[in-house]
Amino acid sequence: MLYVVLFFLIFSLYLYVVLGGADYGAGIVELFSSEENQKITKKTIYRVMGPVWEANHIWIIIMIVILWIAFPAYYNILVVNLHIPLTIVLLGVTLRGVAFVFRHYDAVIDNSQKLYDAMFKISSLITPIFLGMVFGGLISGEIKLTEDVSSLSFYEVFVQPWFNVFSILVGLFFAALCAFLSSVLLIGESEEGKENIYIRKATIATVVVFVTGLITFMYGYGNNFVFVEDFIKDTYAIVAMLISGLLLIPLWLTIKKGRRVLSRFFAGLQVFLILLAALISHFPNIIITETHRVNLMENIAPDSVINVLGISLIIGGAVILPGLFHLLKSFKMIKILDRNSNPSV
Amino acid sequence: MENLDAARLQMAFTLIFHIVFACIGMVMPFFMVVSHYKWLKTKDQLYLTLTKAWQKGVAIFFVTGAVSGTALSFELGLLWPEFMKHAGPIIGMPFSLEGAAFFVEAIALGFYLYGWNKLPEKFHWFTGVIIGLSGVASGILVVAANGWMNSPSGFDYIDGQFLNIDPVQAMLNPAWFTQALHMTLAAFTATGFAVAGIHAYQVYKGRRVALHTKAFKIAITFGAIAAILQPISGDISAKDIAERQPVKLAAMEAHYNTEKGAPLYIGGIVNPETQEVKYKVAIPGMLSFLAFGDFDAEVKGLNDFPEDERPNVPIVHYAFQTMVGIGGLLMLAGLLYFVSLKKKKWFTKNKYWLFFVLLAPLGFIALEAGWIVTEVGRQPWIIHKIMRTKDAVTPMPGIVFSFYTYIVVYLTLSVAVTWLMIRQIKVLNANK
Repeated sequence: MLYVVLFFLIFSLYLYVVLGGADYGAGIVELFSSEENQKITKKTIYRVMGPVWEANHIWIIIMIVILWIAFPAYYNILVVNLHIPLTIVLLGVTLRGVAFVFRHYDAVIDNSQKLYDAMFKISSLITPIFLGMVFGGLISGEIKLTEDVSSLSFYEVFVQPWFNVFSILVGLFFAALCAFLSSVLLIGESEEGKENIYIRKATIATVVVFVTGLITFMYGYGNNFVFVEDFIKDTYAIVAMLISGLLLIPLWLTIKKGRRVLSRFFAGLQVFLILLAALISHFPNIIITETHRVNLMENIAPDSVINVLGISLIIGGAVILPGLFHLLKSFKMIKILDRNSNPSV
Repeated sequence: MENLDAARLQMAFTLIFHIVFACIGMVMPFFMVVSHYKWLKTKDQLYLTLTKAWQKGVAIFFVTGAVSGTALSFELGLLWPEFMKHAGPIIGMPFSLEGAAFFVEAIALGFYLYGWNKLPEKFHWFTGVIIGLSGVASGILVVAANGWMNSPSGFDYIDGQFLNIDPVQAMLNPAWFTQALHMTLAAFTATGFAVAGIHAYQVYKGRRVALHTKAFKIAITFGAIAAILQPISGDISAKDIAERQPVKLAAMEAHYNTEKGAPLYIGGIVNPETQEVKYKVAIPGMLSFLAFGDFDAEVKGLNDFPEDERPNVPIVHYAFQTMVGIGGLLMLAGLLYFVSLKKKKWFTKNKYWLFFVLLAPLGFIALEAGWIVTEVGRQPWIIHKIMRTKDAVTPMPGIVFSFYTYIVVYLTLSVAVTWLMIRQIKVLNANK
């Protein structure tokens, strides 16, 4: 059962990174668009994300609930040492969610739209950066575990783990990854003749992902980060990264040919490989602190808890996944019908 | 401000905020599907207009409830890491099921909001029903987790360790049913009266009377039925608390000394120093009767409990009085509504509408007061008799800053959502 739970944990992490990431990315793409393109993007985002964006964000709740039920010791480090960036992520999620709904459900369209748009775009950028900083913080080796907090300064325990060059670089890398996923998604969803906007965005995002990723690695390597050293020594991780890079070729070919489903599949696979590479090289020591590594598989909840959780997840998954699939599929067809019957929308 | 106080205030503040939005998001779908059903049956255009107006309300409240709920799921750990470290695995089951129910709700909402004229009519309507049912299921599951904090079960507590954990037994703890029943009825009462009050105001002002009267009737029917049933559930809860958490019951009633045939205090001002309750109305023997079904039963007083195991008496007492007082009033108002269905001419009287306008906020005030009774009444424990709240708080200093940030953000959001609702209603009234 432990492996069922672990599967669902990584599965929801992956889906959150891909679906939630594409969702954040949409705001980032809108932020870095010209005024005219912003309007087009806003409409497209509403059409594409409207029915599904809430569901996209539930994966993080599933993830956090699995963490606290099955891996309480691990969860404890996360919420104590990374309290500040997590709080900022939460505020970002809140503001972003309400801004999305306000700008589409406000009965009166007036100047307040500008405020909603600004709120949506800015929180779409800041939230994934801080989320990435949390990921970075976990592997940065800057976390200090101590029973006696007062023996260290506030800065050392609660700020340094996430507010350091490496974590910030991971944050930027993650935000770029979101923008990349979203642009690939939007290419297939754009109005007739507007594909080029998103093809351009996807190109820029790819470059930014590559550059931030490379800088993160070079910085980590130059400063002897445990995570980066593990990564480089691990053949599987390197192979996964290489394949992920090589997948850019079929990705661009499918985009050029207008094969939108296939191009999304490749982009999703690339992100999966990146995540796999990051996990495989140091699993199960998911947290790297200043002095040691925290093994995810130690200090887990008792078997009775894991068993019940595993069964709940299987049942929940059996109910939710078909429903979700049906939702995504139904609206895909509806959107195509919409577009054909009313090309101006 | 002490870190513990700041953490408690932040938790209280975010919960107070979330509860309102979660309740509306959970109950309004039922109004929406009733109106939708009437539209499908009668093809009266007004019902379609109303359904679509309520649907926007549901979407806005669902999201506000969902994001504040996401924030809370993190805050449990961010503010109370020691609690979550031990309690997380034990009470994880209702939370994981709640996640599933919430997921179903979000999927159904996606179908419903975007499915007009696209999905088969009956299936589309049915997705609306699913929104409501999964919302109520979520509410019940979260309350079950809270019930566990009041009546911890499903483990053995030996030498400070939680052993032999049984998550199913923890979820089905002795308090889950009474609390869930009371809260579900409260949610329907509060939302029913609040929504009815808003529409009553529109009728009072003479705006689109036919439409708003229809809206009022749907909302108040739910609210009235729930309000009439609530005292029964309250009685079950009182008897349950008398047995499981006698100190909470004593605080609710500001009952200091153990006695047989204990009187029920109505109102009054508590002086915790002198342990006196002034200006109260006392009904002899009534507290004993309500708690144990026997006018002569012995009710334990606060002085029977160690001083460091008692909650703040005035807060719990005043909150309890507020809840019960409003609950009684709303029950009478519910009966009055059913009488008015027989006396049709009341609907033409302005006073009738004004009465329901004034009641609009009361249900939510009672609901929040009820949660204050439950939560403050459990103090100083975070897990009744097992873990103290002060031992659960985060070691990170400076929580007061995050508390202020939350206040600013959530108050702004409350103002914004209210403003949006006013705009919705204005547009609804303008589109004749």
